Order: sequence, then C-alpha cells, then structure tokens
Amino acid sequence: MHIPDGFLDLKTWGTLYGVSGGTTAYALYKVRDRLEGKKIPLLGITAAFIFAAQMLNFPVAGGTSGHFLGAMLACVLLGPFEGFLVMVTVLMVQCFFFADGGLTALGANIFNMGIVGGLFSYYLMVLLKAPLSRWIGEKKALLSSVAVFSWVSVVLASAACAIELVISGTVPFNVTFPAMVGVHSLIGIGEAIITTVALVVVLQSRPDLVDAYRGPALSQTATAGEVA
Amino acid sequence: MHHDFIDRYSRLDSPVHSLNPRAKIAALFTLIIVCVITPPKEWWPFCIYAAVVVIIAAASRLPARYLLTRVLVVLPFILVVAIFVPFMHKGGPSFDLGLFHVSREGLIILWGVTVKALISVSCLILLSATTPFDDLMHGFERLRVPHFFTTAAAFMYRYIFVIIDEAERMGRARDSRNFHGRWLWQAGVVGRMAGTLFLRSQERAERVYDAMSSRGFDGTFPRWQDGKMMAADYVFIAMVAATAIAARLVVLWK
Repeated sequence: MHIPDGFLDLKTWGTLYGVSGGTTAYALYKVRDRLEGKKIPLLGITAAFIFAAQMLNFPVAGGTSGHFLGAMLACVLLGPFEGFLVMVTVLMVQCFFFADGGLTALGANIFNMGIVGGLFSYYLMVLLKAPLSRWIGEKKALLSSVAVFSWVSVVLASAACAIELVISGTVPFNVTFPAMVGVHSLIGIGEAIITTVALVVVLQSRPDLVDAYRGPALSQTATAGEVA
Repeated sequence: MHHDFIDRYSRLDSPVHSLNPRAKIAALFTLIIVCVITPPKEWWPFCIYAAVVVIIAAASRLPARYLLTRVLVVLPFILVVAIFVPFMHKGGPSFDLGLFHVSREGLIILWGVTVKALISVSCLILLSATTPFDDLMHGFERLRVPHFFTTAAAFMYRYIFVIIDEAERMGRARDSRNFHGRWLWQAGVVGRMAGTLFLRSQERAERVYDAMSSRGFDGTFPRWQDGKMMAADYVFIAMVAATAIAARLVVLWK
C-alpha cells in the first residue's frame, strides 16, 4: 500500500502533505509532556517492532500473502497519538532508507496508514468499545471492537489509497477501487486476527502495556521472558 | 538479516559520499519534486533527470548491481496498479490489437508513473546508500525535522535488526514445528508471534533505557563533528537543482 513517487498529482500529494503535516504537528503537541526521557526510546523501539512485524507475511488465498499493517495495534497499545507518531516514524524510515513509498507520496502514505488506518479507525473503535464494555466487560469489549476495527482500518486505508490514485487521474475508478478494496477486505481478516491475538497475548502477561485497556489488572504471573 | 543491509556502502570514499548530508538532501529532494511535477507528455526531460542520477551514481562508486536490486523495490506497485492502465483507460485515440484496445493516453500515464517512480526511487537510494544513518539523521535535524523523529528513528535503526532477527528466530522455531501457513486462519499463529515480539521488544526497550539513563542519557545524542557546508556542497546543489529546474522550465515555455 506504500504509494511510490509519480503516482499522485500535485494537488493530491500537496493537500495530503498539508493534512498529514498538520496532524503530525498536533500529535507532537498533544504528547509533548509525555515525551521526556523514557518515552522516545520506547517509541523508537516500538517503531522497530512495527517495522519487523510488517515483515511477517501471512497467507491470504491461492498463494498470495498480505502483510501486517499494525496501525491499529500501535494505537491500542501506546495510545492514539503515540501510535500515530510511531507509524509516521516507520513510514519516514521506510521512505528515506528503504525507498519504500515515495518522498512526494509520504504525506499520502501517512494519511492512509497513520490517519485513516490509525487515528480515525482507533476513535471508531473507541466509539464501539464504550457501550460494549458496560455490557460484556472491558476485556471482551476491547478485543471484539479491536477485531472489527482493525479489519475496518485496513479496508479504509486501501480505499483512501485507491481514491487518491483515481483523483490523480492515474487509474480508473471502476477497476482499481473494487480491486483494491476487495483484496484488502481479505487482507483485513488477517490483520484483525493478528491484531486481536497479539493483544490477547499482551493482555495476558503485561496488561499495563496496553493503553486502551482500562480494566482491572489481570493475572500478572509471568513476564514475556519467562513465558518464552 | 544482515545488519548492514542499508548501510553497507555508506562509508565508501567517493566525491558523493564526502558531500554534506544537507547538500545531498536538498539537491536530491529538489530533483525528485521537479521530476514528479513534470508532465509525462515530453520524454526528453526525463532523460536529463536520469542522466543526472546516472552521473551521481557513477561518481558514488556504488556497485551497479546493488543499486539495481534496490531500485526493483518499486516494481511490484507498478505491476499491480499501473500495468493495466493502457487497457482500461477510456477516451482519446487508441490502438486496436485484436482482443485489446490500447489507449494512447493510458500508455502515456503508464510511462509517466514508471519513469517518475524509477528516477525518484534511485534518488532516495543514492541518498541513503552514500550517507551513514547517523549523518543523515543529523542532516535532517539541521533541516528542522522535529527532534522526536530523528531521535525515535535513531533508536529504531539501532534495534530494527535485533528485532527482525528475533522475529526470524521465532519464524524458524514455528516452521520447525510443522507450520505450513497455507490458510488465512493460521494468521492466529502470526498474531501470537506479534504479541510475543511486542512484549520482548518492550522489555528490551525498558532494559536499554535503564542502561542508558544510568550512563547519563538525557534524551539527546551527543555530536562530535558538526559538518559545515563547503563550497563543493553548494556547487553540488546548484548543479543538480539548476539542471532539473531548467529542464522543467523549458517544458513549461514550449
């Protein structure tokens, strides 16, 4: 889903640079008090984790495979703005050092994978979780809304990507949009499974590391090192 | 994964390597932006941009094979998204090839995105392959990229390879227990790996941070040498940017 240079026209990538730049500035402002000392190394190493997790391919169907996006997982574990900033760091490093995603398309890629797939989907998830948690309990509510909205986050991000390519006049809507969204609604299932199962694992041993979890501490008998 | 995958050639000795990172960032980013906003109807400006890229690549003494393998990273996106455009594009003149109609405008779009993507990706690779990571980060910081990103990226870079190796070891352990990963529901196994990987990386981060703060880390990395912009750096920016902008302006006036 990383758009390279040359696929978007000036009005599209310029606008998205503005939107992504503004959101990034706001996110830095929101978390500025918490960024002292410990937080930056922690977020940097989490960015390395997201980068490595994106290399875990999972099978989709008929020999094709999708890869993990991780925007929802990052937001749920770290908090929405920290998660967004981690995604921005990952996308910047992928762009500047791995040439994965273009320089002019960086704003668009941050918009698709950080804002639409991350922040926006996270807040949709919170909207579902709040009423659910009164009904089925905090842990189940969190896991089920994360399952639903990590699927939504991948589908929305791919839809945004397809729409940008169409607006730029690069590809026709009637072919690309259904193809992109269709493939990613399959990949989204993998994303939902991975995100939810990963969250279950983290909740079991270190619920204190899950920002979106507001329930009582669960059994805290083992740390990951001992489990592994 | 080899830890020097990106940085392998960034400490060679060549005229391009010895330029100030800020000069390389300014010149190559200008070239990318000018290339991206050039309309694809004319072919010769792209030859000029490509010539600039080839001259820099030759001066950098990077192995051609290494550059070519890394440029291939954009091919999947081009193949999946753009290759169908000439057949799907409606309107304008088209060539009839029996079963298919090949649209002329569609071909121009395909040519445009391919050549722009290839030139831009070569520029990004030349930048990262001729500049050690720390110097590049310092260059970005001097160009007012927020401190958060340069520091977070520095940590990310230090631990990417450790964590990827960790992930590969987990993958090997999984495969040796007869995981074949052919069906979507087996993604649950990948989820457990991702969860464990997160826990291990966080606990590593906590240990690293404790070790660093006990050695007096205050949130910034000390810098010993502060690269100054030399005459050669300004000449490099002027030559690359002027060539690119001149080519773009000639297209505009024609």
